[in-house]
Amino acid sequence: MCEFLQFPLLSSLHTERNIGCQTGTLATMMQKLYLLGFLTSFLISATDTQPTHGSLKPPKVQFQSRNFHNILRWQPGSALTGNGSVYFVQYKMYGQREWKNKTDCWGTTELFCDLTNETLDLYEPYYGRVMTAWAGSYSAWSRTPRFTPWWETKLDPPFVTTIQVNTSLLVLLRAPELPYRNQTGKNTSMENYYDLVYRVFITDNSLGKEQTAYEGTQRTVQIEGLTARSGYCVVAEIYQPMLGRKSPRSEQRCVQIP
Amino acid sequence: MAVLQKKSMSFSLMGPLAASCLLLIALWAHEAVGLPITSHCKLDVSNFQRPYFTNRTFKLAEEASLADNNTDVRLIGDELFQGVNRQNRCYLMKQVLNFTLAEVLIPHSDRFQPYMQQVVPFLTKLSNQLSLCQIRGDGQHIQKNIQTLKETVKQLGESGEIKAIGELNLLFMHLRNYCV
Repeated sequence: MCEFLQFPLLSSLHTERNIGCQTGTLATMMQKLYLLGFLTSFLISATDTQPTHGSLKPPKVQFQSRNFHNILRWQPGSALTGNGSVYFVQYKMYGQREWKNKTDCWGTTELFCDLTNETLDLYEPYYGRVMTAWAGSYSAWSRTPRFTPWWETKLDPPFVTTIQVNTSLLVLLRAPELPYRNQTGKNTSMENYYDLVYRVFITDNSLGKEQTAYEGTQRTVQIEGLTARSGYCVVAEIYQPMLGRKSPRSEQRCVQIP
Repeated sequence: MAVLQKKSMSFSLMGPLAASCLLLIALWAHEAVGLPITSHCKLDVSNFQRPYFTNRTFKLAEEASLADNNTDVRLIGDELFQGVNRQNRCYLMKQVLNFTLAEVLIPHSDRFQPYMQQVVPFLTKLSNQLSLCQIRGDGQHIQKNIQTLKETVKQLGESGEIKAIGELNLLFMHLRNYCV
């Protein structure tokens, strides 16, 4: 039993380890077992936390990314029943030693933090982490998985505008806006980061049948030869060939050919 | 640069000289001492246009990165490229790729399934396509940077290898960036 207490995890706890190793009655053995159990559970809860409020620790800290707007989100720790907790947010690029404080989210009561400007390099991997303070206690840091915007962001549908000219329809497509970049200041578009493909679908309302009208990289598409006195609806989506992903569909634009 | 000049001279009817130059070039090629003519450091863009392999590679990296709790140390980052000019970066990535395949992926090929079994053949193919890729000019800097990477992996032991797998997405993106 005494050997068992030499388990490496416990080796730092000298005082406890020295308790009653000389005695051999069943009662003391049982006591030691309880002690061991207590110590083990204590150590498990304390392995990655200095304060032992594991249940304060905000779970599910993760980035949610849409069109490269990268929002850190989390949930309240399980010990938090009411209000009164505040959160502290840090971030860094993978490979950096120092975590940086996000001052806008330092002591926030919200359950999210916008880190778009801190994660502007779309190909780089980032981390975020959150700590809670509640009733005078601090939780440990709770960290996100590694986050690479280019891979994880979800694209919104394209904006679609239609212009009707006689029996043809001009469809103007626009990819979602990128977050404003004050570092580069340049006008980059979503197409710079993915080889985006636009898909345009048209439905002849009298037939109720949808057809692919266009698939390609152009942002202006002309659909010709539409039948007079018919109604048509157009809808579009964005496809990312590199990732084999597509955006949700845009809102429908419907026209009546005179 | 010197070879380019010689090449242009060959057009000005200097037959024998041109022939000897060609011989010299052939000899250089044979000994693989700096090949300024064609570098072979090229991958076809189609390699990176197959969503299946892109997704698998990123997924594998994601899985491994979850097991990598060392957020301070990064293998494929600024330090790796420091002092390496752009035309040699494909060669640099080739070296990283070959190291990762031989020393990390193959020994761990039973882990992170099913991604591993799909990604290893894909990366092996890329490695084969770069087999003739050679360094241009003095490669001291490059060798030093690669050595640092290898040593970091060795020092970290098992977790260094997990880290390398967790950076397969970076490897993939840099191969695409510098070799296409």
